[in-house]
Amino acid sequence: MPLFLAQAQDTISKKNSIERKKIVGETPLSPKQVSKPTATVAKTDTIVPVKKDRYGVRVGADLYKLTRGLYDKNYKGIELVGDYRLTKNYYAAAELGSENKTTEDDRLNTTTKGTYIKVGFDYNAYKNWLDMENIISIGLRGGFSTFNQELNSYKIYNSSPYWGEIPWKPSGEKFGGLTAGWIEVVAGIKVKVYNNIFVGFSLRMNTLLFDKKPSENFENLYIPGFNRTYAGKFGAGFNYTVTYFVPLYKKTVKPEKNK
Amino acid sequence: MKKIITLLIILIFTSSSCEKDDICDANTSTTPRLVIDFYNITNPTVKKNVTNLKVIGEGMTDGIIFNSGSEESKYLTSGNTISIPLRTDADSVKYSFILNSGNPNPTLIDTDELTFNYTRNDVYVSRACGFKTLFTFESTNTFVHTAFPVTKEKWMKDISIQKNNIDNENETHIKIYF
Repeated sequence: MPLFLAQAQDTISKKNSIERKKIVGETPLSPKQVSKPTATVAKTDTIVPVKKDRYGVRVGADLYKLTRGLYDKNYKGIELVGDYRLTKNYYAAAELGSENKTTEDDRLNTTTKGTYIKVGFDYNAYKNWLDMENIISIGLRGGFSTFNQELNSYKIYNSSPYWGEIPWKPSGEKFGGLTAGWIEVVAGIKVKVYNNIFVGFSLRMNTLLFDKKPSENFENLYIPGFNRTYAGKFGAGFNYTVTYFVPLYKKTVKPEKNK
Repeated sequence: MKKIITLLIILIFTSSSCEKDDICDANTSTTPRLVIDFYNITNPTVKKNVTNLKVIGEGMTDGIIFNSGSEESKYLTSGNTISIPLRTDADSVKYSFILNSGNPNPTLIDTDELTFNYTRNDVYVSRACGFKTLFTFESTNTFVHTAFPVTKEKWMKDISIQKNNIDNENETHIKIYF
């Protein structure tokens, strides 16, 4: 059968050389082509996979912060997320958010309100097959927040409670005009679930660079975007995002040379 | 990939539950007690031990615990220094200082009463410790000294305020000579 095809091809005029070569390539058994079949095969293979990457903007929101307000009466918050594809593997990324959180510690009850912005990049370390667009990334962010704190009530620590346990004291003292800046290392994953809709999850470790503390008699216990301050300068966070990808243009992927 | 996400979510939720991990370190300087040293009235530079002193706050039935002894003896001290708490919810506190407390001979039991007047200031310590109260003695009418019953002679001969600010327990605030 291949032999017949080869012969039939020979009779057709040579107006389409590529077509001809392809069919020739598929018939290595043809006695006429035995001399150098491998070279022909390699040449044709590079033409077949025309792969194009889509570039654009992805925008969405953190579902965790949105839904937390439904079951946690001490929390109200929103975070908008977005990224823009710069190169094959690099994405400019940002988060913009607002939080209102009441923290109940053993001896302190405080409410923190404020907004924050995080700007940085993600590096996609995942090699997609074919036209998949999933992302497993590591990234960096610079974060900045302006906020205020209100001390609702507090307890006095008394190591010798001879006069009995003293109840919570109401305070209502407000500490305004607070700011903080930090660096965030982000490990994230984004999966395309349907058309241009992505579901993502990211883990963040934060290190505080600076913070404007309350002028006296208090400290920053919670910073919007940074979350609870551990040992004064460390924090951690995560988000669970749903985003929509807006494609802007396509770029042909340069074929990778095999060695 | 869904498994990885699920795993990460579980990891986050379990690790965030240990938020209340920090406890107030016992070495942290918190609400200070009033430190009183006892001195010899006839030789004012020398400290003098009290004998079976019991200190009871006004309206309380039990004395301040001074040591880890059994039933009654934990309320008694025979040293030359005591630390007693001031009230963090009032601007004055009244204590009875009972010498030879529990002595079978009632004529030896000697009681003086002291009322301290002060102002309070609540100061932030940390997330774990909350606030502490610092005290400042009133400049006038710092303390009221009476015998109980009032007709008897007071066993405290002289009381001297050493520090007006009670910020820590590392210094003597009051010297009592007897």
